[in-house]
Amino acid sequence: MGSLFRSEEMTLCQLFLQSEAAYACVSELGELGLVQFRDLNPDVNAFQRKFVNEVRRCDEMERKLRYLEKEIKKDGIPMLDTGDSPEAPQPREMIDLEATFEKLENELREVNQNAEALKRNYLELTELKHILRKTQVFFDETAPDYQDMLVNRFSQLNPSFHSRPSKYDIRTLRVKFTKSQMADSHREEEQLNLLEDGPRGQQQQNLKLGFVAGVILRERLPAFERMLWRACRGNVFLRQAMIEAPLEDPSNGDNVYKSVFIIFFQGDQLKTRVKKICEGFRATLYPCPEAPADRREMAMGVMTRIEDLNTVLGQTQDHRHRVLVAAAKNLKNWFVKVRKIKAIYHTLNLFNLDVTQKCLIAECWVPVLDIETIQVALRRGTERSGSSVPPILNRMETFEDPPTYNRTNKFTHAFQALINAYGVASYREMNPAPYTIITFPFLFAVMFGDLGHGTIMALFGLWMVLKEKPLAAKKSDNEIWNIFFGGRYIIFLMGVFSMYTGFIYNDIFSKSLNIFGSGWHLSYNTSTVMENKALQLDPAYDAPRTYPIGMDPVWQVAPLNKIIFQNAYKMKISIIFGVIHMIFGVVVGLFNHRFFKNKRAIYCEFIPQMIFLIFLFFYMTLLMWIKWIRFSAQNPAPYSVHCAPSILITFINMVLFKTSPLINEECNEWMFWGQGVLQKFLVLSALACIPVMLLAKPLLIMQERKKALHQPILPYSTDGQDGENGGLNPQTQTAAAAAPAGGHGHEEQEEMSEIFIHQGIHTIEYVLGSVSHTASYLRLWALSLAHAQLAEVLWNMVLKMGLTMSGPMGGIGLWAIFGFWASLTVSILVLMEGLSAFLHTLRLHWVEFQSKFYAGQGYAFTPFAFEAILDGGGSTED
Amino acid sequence: MGFMFNIDGGYLEGLCRGFKCGILKQSDYLNLVQCETLEDLKLHLQGTDYGQFLANEPSPLAVSVIDDKLREKLVIEFQHMRNHAVEPLSTFLDFITYSYMIDNIILLITGTLHQRPISELIPKCHPLGSFEQMEAIHVAATPAELYNAVLVDTPLAPFFVDCISEQDLDEMNIEIIRNTLYKAYLEAFYGFCKSLGGTTADVMCEILAFEADRRAIIITINSFGTELSKDDRQKLYPRCGRMFPDGLAALARADDYEQVKAVSEYYAEYAALFDGSGNNPGDKTLEDKFFEHEVKLNVYAFMQQFHFGVFYSYLKLKEQECRNIVWIAECVAQKHRAKIDNYIPIL
Repeated sequence: MGSLFRSEEMTLCQLFLQSEAAYACVSELGELGLVQFRDLNPDVNAFQRKFVNEVRRCDEMERKLRYLEKEIKKDGIPMLDTGDSPEAPQPREMIDLEATFEKLENELREVNQNAEALKRNYLELTELKHILRKTQVFFDETAPDYQDMLVNRFSQLNPSFHSRPSKYDIRTLRVKFTKSQMADSHREEEQLNLLEDGPRGQQQQNLKLGFVAGVILRERLPAFERMLWRACRGNVFLRQAMIEAPLEDPSNGDNVYKSVFIIFFQGDQLKTRVKKICEGFRATLYPCPEAPADRREMAMGVMTRIEDLNTVLGQTQDHRHRVLVAAAKNLKNWFVKVRKIKAIYHTLNLFNLDVTQKCLIAECWVPVLDIETIQVALRRGTERSGSSVPPILNRMETFEDPPTYNRTNKFTHAFQALINAYGVASYREMNPAPYTIITFPFLFAVMFGDLGHGTIMALFGLWMVLKEKPLAAKKSDNEIWNIFFGGRYIIFLMGVFSMYTGFIYNDIFSKSLNIFGSGWHLSYNTSTVMENKALQLDPAYDAPRTYPIGMDPVWQVAPLNKIIFQNAYKMKISIIFGVIHMIFGVVVGLFNHRFFKNKRAIYCEFIPQMIFLIFLFFYMTLLMWIKWIRFSAQNPAPYSVHCAPSILITFINMVLFKTSPLINEECNEWMFWGQGVLQKFLVLSALACIPVMLLAKPLLIMQERKKALHQPILPYSTDGQDGENGGLNPQTQTAAAAAPAGGHGHEEQEEMSEIFIHQGIHTIEYVLGSVSHTASYLRLWALSLAHAQLAEVLWNMVLKMGLTMSGPMGGIGLWAIFGFWASLTVSILVLMEGLSAFLHTLRLHWVEFQSKFYAGQGYAFTPFAFEAILDGGGSTED
Repeated sequence: MGFMFNIDGGYLEGLCRGFKCGILKQSDYLNLVQCETLEDLKLHLQGTDYGQFLANEPSPLAVSVIDDKLREKLVIEFQHMRNHAVEPLSTFLDFITYSYMIDNIILLITGTLHQRPISELIPKCHPLGSFEQMEAIHVAATPAELYNAVLVDTPLAPFFVDCISEQDLDEMNIEIIRNTLYKAYLEAFYGFCKSLGGTTADVMCEILAFEADRRAIIITINSFGTELSKDDRQKLYPRCGRMFPDGLAALARADDYEQVKAVSEYYAEYAALFDGSGNNPGDKTLEDKFFEHEVKLNVYAFMQQFHFGVFYSYLKLKEQECRNIVWIAECVAQKHRAKIDNYIPIL
């Protein structure tokens, strides 16, 4: 259990794995997730590593699986996700898997191809059907001699078109067509004139009017029409009609809207041109017989073919569905398997190959406590692979900093995450997380103290804790929800602690509970109370007993001085908690110094820091206690209420070596005997600590270095003189060699000036920090005040309105207003205020508390674990 | 002016600079040229900003697939920026696409001239330069028809006005059309950037001036030994470069490569490019030198902030990178490693 207070002891190990057994062993280690491998060939390109082919095969398999997944999703077939993770298959099974996927993919592709061909066919037939139907309308709505008219019109208008192609012409042409349908007499005449221009029969022979019919995407139609007009100089006539129902594009299954068009033109030249344009705009042309009877016959044929095609299509779809359903059952399983194989080969790529090519060499960080487990796993892996040579796990000596590994469970995990968000602890440094478990919810609660709001929060946390398993299984992608869910234990604890502080503050939705009966009684008679707006109760006479626990509920009905009273109380407890918290932080630092055998730091840093903090700030909290205990309303003169000094003024005067003026003749100058002398002593000794903190450590280091420097220089000076002292050399050299082996390998290289600067910064930070951090804890009071005030405002402004309504409407009004009040309570007071208090608590821990001892310069232990890889893989996939 | 620029263009400029950071570094190229197969290439590109862009392609890979995917990625990025742009940046970005439209038109006309089916040509067109009427381009037999039927609705119409006189579409005329179009386009783009003013004008005019001069020089060199007359040649020079007007006049009189080189002597940057190039094996070609200079100018564009030049430069740099990757991929695929180092490094 030692690991909760410090990170796990780690060791660098060398691992010799026989080539055949390597895969199985790494697979076992992956399931275990306790080993962090180091990259032994960082200079080698990704594609020049040993197992790159296997990785590539896995990539290929993943691609096939993704293809399958895409198809399955397209059909909306549910994928079976059992959540269990099958073991990584043997390398030889990889071939089976590959074959299976290959088969499935090919089958699916074939089915898709067939389906696409069928759909294309179907689409063509549907389009043809629409063409036949729509053109029927085109042909029908015109008179039987419509075509003749058309021919004549073209013959007449052509010359003008050739000479002057303009939009105006086609417009008039269209107008004429529509008008002729309405049998406009004037136009009729004009037509007749036109008709008389030449022998009719001859013209019909000369000008054979052709037409093409087709289907085009609706959005392309305007450009198409314009292009036709331009390219053919207006010598074509286009009719179009929309196909209302969307058609399915066979290549990607999208719904597209299309239109039917029919183009009339004359001559072969125009025909090729029109066809080219149609091709250019990807319009599909269909044969369309001219005679109505042919068309009807063709339509019949098309209908029957569509029927046939439908059955075939249905069968194809069924087949596809069956294939996909079968695949969907195993898909997740396969994904897990392939990812595991890929992860194993990725890891194997980090290994070195032995000269004999017989075994792989790996280097890894492992927790010392788990070496046994790892060895068991390795043995299991060897057995599975059928290899005879056991793997060898050697511990290595190293000067490198090991990774920081804090073992967590679901409860401590969230707290550890809060600490790691600031910085991962240096190796084997004191871990603040265990203390945070209590201090975090407590400091939060001091700011959030309200029994009602705390209950809401605690219930929410409790719900998440109790429903943990089903909620976790859902694996929501909602980031905000995941944050809440991840911190469920924190939320629950924060809620419970807030209930406690709310009870102490006697505050529930800004009201008070009168459980034990107020300790105050009223000495005024009724008429006095009714007549006077502001009356004060004298604590000397009106408060015969104290309320057993928490704040007396009578304060709730004292609107004028409730806040003043509470402020004094909350400010003081904020400072008391803050100073204790900081002292605790410095003490934790002591454990660090002792653990790292840093005696110098204890004498030069810890002790002066402690003295400074205790003599100044802890003394101030003591004054508060003394004031609380000694001064009372019932006490006689020197310790009566009027004589109670202000702690803040006292403290400031103490630092400035001033005596505070007497408040009253009968009061004492000091709170207790010898206070003046004691204060002078405290301030002077605290100030004396500053130079100690600033200079002691660097001076000691300098001295030590000088000593160390003198020795190696000696041989040189003696060498020059004579060979007499030659015998000294080996001795001094060994001494010099022993010095760096003492453990401060790289510290020796640090510049002296840098050490001075560092120490200066640290000292200034600490001394100034002590003042500002103490003041910073006042946020406990400030937020608590703000929270209480906000709750009160909400009650008075909102719910009180509902409560004062009378009559039957009052009930309904109260109902609505209560809803409003409740939602504001939850959203603003619980959520927003909670978030704000949370952030302030976080700051108090990160800055005020951890700055006293926490370096946070380590790097996290990231073991090779399938679990993490699969989780991460899943989230990046989506 | 930065705060005004950022109202409309700040997000996109930031985005563009972010994209630019993903451009392959020299170390990436060193790794790429070591690849043995295209699979290696894919694996290495996975480690860069390209990420999984080839992950869903079945092996074995073809160079053309890589090319398509590279281009697709670039086009998606560009379209994204275009879709978020507002005036005048949107016009600026549209201007960039016009050059691709010109290329597409020429490609299609040349293709139809050689009796290729249009469906075969369309996939070869650059997606940035596609427009609605593009596929129907083969109805036109003469430049006048081309203009009246196809181009009149496109933004290229004003550029095309000078080309209508040509009689029919043969190889030579197509080439002339291309260069005339390009000339008009460059001049218009230059004018547009000038009208924008500020840093945009500073940066873009320099790049476009170089582009114009490069075209003039290349046209001159390529025209030797063809039937293009000197007068016609002069008409093709874009008149917005540094060489306008004296240099262009001198170029118009040039008869061989040496004379072109002599003209370039008057312009320090171009003289250096000519000096560094050669046709011997191991030497860099003039074209490569031009590319290198262009890359340099485009990289310089990123040295200044609050201007549109970064979008143009990003596109050009990325295109160069695509060319480099495709070049390396080709060399790898054809096992022709001798020239694999002939890519243009992007600083």
